[in-house]
Amino acid sequence: MPVIFINGEAVETGEHRTVLQAALANGFYVPHFCWHPELSIVGNCRVCVVEQEGRGVNIACNMPVVDGMRVQTDSEPVRAQRKAMLQFILLNHPVDCGICDKAGECTLQDYHYAYNGEPALSQDPKLHSTKFYPLSDRIILDNERCILCSRCVRFTREVSQSNVLGIEYRGDSALVRPAEDRTLDDDPYSDNVIDICPVGALLSRSFLYQARAWYLEPTPSVCPGCARGCTVQLWHRKPEWRVKGLDPRHNTRILRVTPLENPRVNGPWICNKGRDLGGALERPRAEVAMLKGEPVTTTRAIEAARELIRASGRRVALVSSGGSNEELRAFHSALVANFTTFVKPDHLPQDGEVVEDDLLIRADKNPNTRAARSLFGDSPTEISADTELVLVWGEGADFGAFPRGAKIVLLGSWLAPENGYADVFIPLSIQTERRGHYTNFQGVVSAFEPCCWRPDGVIDAETLFPLLAAPPGSTA
Amino acid sequence: MTGRKVLMDFEVTADSHTLAAYRARGGYRALAKALQTMRPRDVTQEVVDSGIQGRGGAAFPAGRKWQGIDPDDGQPHYLIANADEGEPGTFKDRWVLEFDPHALLESMLLASYALGVRHAFVYIRGEYDRPWRRLDAAVEEAYAEGLFGENILGSGFACDLFVFRGAGAYVCGEASSLLGSIEGTRAYPRNRPPRMTVRGLYQAPTVVNNVETLASVAWIVRNGARAFREIGTEKSPGTRLISVSGHIRKPGVYEVELGYSWAKFLHEDCGGLLCNKALKAVIPGGISSAVLTGKDAKVLTAGEVEDLTLDHEKLRAAGSSLGSGGMIVIAEGTCMVRLLQIMLRFYHHESCGQCTPCREGTGWMHRVIDRIVAGQGRPEDIDTLYHVARFNDGTTICGLGDAAGYAATAMLDNFRDEFEYFIEHRHSKFGGNLECR
Ligand code: SF4
Ligand code: SF4
Ligand code: SF4
Ligand code: FES
Repeated sequence: MPVIFINGEAVETGEHRTVLQAALANGFYVPHFCWHPELSIVGNCRVCVVEQEGRGVNIACNMPVVDGMRVQTDSEPVRAQRKAMLQFILLNHPVDCGICDKAGECTLQDYHYAYNGEPALSQDPKLHSTKFYPLSDRIILDNERCILCSRCVRFTREVSQSNVLGIEYRGDSALVRPAEDRTLDDDPYSDNVIDICPVGALLSRSFLYQARAWYLEPTPSVCPGCARGCTVQLWHRKPEWRVKGLDPRHNTRILRVTPLENPRVNGPWICNKGRDLGGALERPRAEVAMLKGEPVTTTRAIEAARELIRASGRRVALVSSGGSNEELRAFHSALVANFTTFVKPDHLPQDGEVVEDDLLIRADKNPNTRAARSLFGDSPTEISADTELVLVWGEGADFGAFPRGAKIVLLGSWLAPENGYADVFIPLSIQTERRGHYTNFQGVVSAFEPCCWRPDGVIDAETLFPLLAAPPGSTA
Repeated sequence: MTGRKVLMDFEVTADSHTLAAYRARGGYRALAKALQTMRPRDVTQEVVDSGIQGRGGAAFPAGRKWQGIDPDDGQPHYLIANADEGEPGTFKDRWVLEFDPHALLESMLLASYALGVRHAFVYIRGEYDRPWRRLDAAVEEAYAEGLFGENILGSGFACDLFVFRGAGAYVCGEASSLLGSIEGTRAYPRNRPPRMTVRGLYQAPTVVNNVETLASVAWIVRNGARAFREIGTEKSPGTRLISVSGHIRKPGVYEVELGYSWAKFLHEDCGGLLCNKALKAVIPGGISSAVLTGKDAKVLTAGEVEDLTLDHEKLRAAGSSLGSGGMIVIAEGTCMVRLLQIMLRFYHHESCGQCTPCREGTGWMHRVIDRIVAGQGRPEDIDTLYHVARFNDGTTICGLGDAAGYAATAMLDNFRDEFEYFIEHRHSKFGGNLECR
């Protein structure tokens, strides 16, 4: 293993590494714009410079490590060149940080403070460019802020392979543009370019002007959109920045969803469906328990469900493939003896949705099918005509296929016509209100954390199942 | 008479570019000799021994470049003749393409044999129409006679040639970026490492040589490395094609034996300056080579340029180079501020926009000089130009950024007074003249 000396310190690196990789892996920060660990090296921003003993200043992202080499990451010539590169970048950059969504997360701003921090060298007017160029229904491009690092272009070539983006024109007229007749709507992974853009050039329409980055904090979570179970962060207002007088639900809204890098599952990417998780969680909630459509307390509904379970003969349960590992286990230990159990998909691919691809997206649109099947088997659902009670947990069940006269206990989280049709309906908490784990299709277990309040009357499935199994009359 | 000849050693006639004429003057004999009597490595050795330096601009020893490829490593290798002659002031390869295309083709066959190349390319600039037509016709003639394709001259050696027309961007002629152009992506210069002889076209080891460099190989193999070494100087063997333009009586392409007297070349062979003007400056090898001044020549009979000989070592010692062989002669009375404006406009226009300092710096310098020429110059502009030029030097992916900076610093170093005058008086010391009157 080669050993190199960074700022005088010996550092062991792998073969075929670059100095930039070696530095970052060992706690030496080298600023960089165009380099991204998952994309090819282009070496065009010229900011990641280091000084190599005897060979002068050069870019670290394309500098292979050679045993015994010595580099300085912060020498005088290095700082001078970084400063000059920032002057070049800022020459025509609008520096409109005050109205830029990236403020607070912008590496250009950070590096400017760290390495330049001086008024512009040029007094000449800046070149102007397109301020709001629509790239898709989801993304707009601000060419004035673009520093032409080409990360977004390389992403659509090398990762999502939609090849939508390219660079047009030359010199300081160069612009990121979609290929003719194409938009980023053609790319189910398009929104990743917003994250990897080091500046505020690529903007999410749904997040635009919603909040300053420093008002927000992320909660680690798992996307329930398909069996991949990508690790994500759900961004919402920090408690201290909640706006008084605003509907509390507004204050706890998920304002954006970003990937949380997880090499075993999704790397640093997620698909656009995962980005829309926040919106999906805003579907109207079911918060009130019901008996045949009549509102009752949750305790009353639980009591009624228990009675039905006790009183009926043949019982079938349709288990949710979106329940957490903990909930599935709770069902298994409390109720499996009472039911013939089948795993049901809560969601099937929707019209227009990418069914499956080679990158992340899986055809199974449920997050925990693997765990559910390992507990309850994978035999196809069969509800015989003499079934007296069907317990439905989650969505996606076809009520029309149930035997006439069978009683229905429905456990769900969203407002739906079926809720009123069921004999008993009990509202359950949703993923953002509880803690748990999903097992993805490969068997990787990932954890999610709560970030929202659970409405009154709503109960966690994990708490509910033991209660349903308890003898009638015991206190809920 | 500019010394002994390697390429222009025949009389150009209406059909001297044809295969028949080329054969009549000994053409394709070197190929036959090599295929029958030499191993591939012997051909490379011959080129190494000849000491020929690249004629495209960087003057890197061609043989050493070839040695970067192991012909027996089992990988595909590529050879590319860089005929994208875009350096302003440079039009010397055009002569080879138009009047001696078979010298290039025979040489490419020899190089392909030496380097284990099955597919060779000529990358020719789109603007070169007649050179392209001549070259294309020559390729067809060669194919018709079995000089390309399978089993060439019965030797078992196979090689195909593709002529690829560029679409006319200066930076496409940069050796690493023309790979992108051939591969069908944007022609962006590539970072090194890796060298092209390690990973070039389609990720395979590749040699890119200038047309003139390659075209000399047939002569070298035919006459031997020693004969080549006898021409030119010890450190700069051979000849150079030089295209002369500017304020000169007889512009054109000349073949000059390296080491030839510059004064003789300018004043005798090229007929001296237009309008009997004195020499102000010479750009020796395309605008990307540093400018040499002739200002001493005005005072002394033997000045900076006048004392020099045309070879790599002398020019390097004088802080410049023979570059691309495009010599631009500038007479007294020319406004160097306006000249720099034109040069910077060119670099700004042609910067591919890939790397930060060149993308922004060329435009920055161009706008500053535009403002100076418009009479809006500020005293600090000179420092700004130096600042931008300094940080374009050695910080960019390809040489364009460097060259733009050199253009600015060379002009400022040598003619600073003209710039100061222009800024102070808001007009040129020379009425803005670029023509010589
Ligand atoms: S839009 Fe962003 S990611 Fe794309 S090239 Fe510009 S700065 Fe880079
Ligand atoms: S690939 Fe699946 S799990 Fe990942 S973000 Fe998309 S929908 Fe969610
Ligand atoms: S130096 Fe200029 S022309 Fe060369 S790669 Fe950089 S931007 Fe392109
Ligand atoms: S990160 Fe190395 S040049 Fe951009």
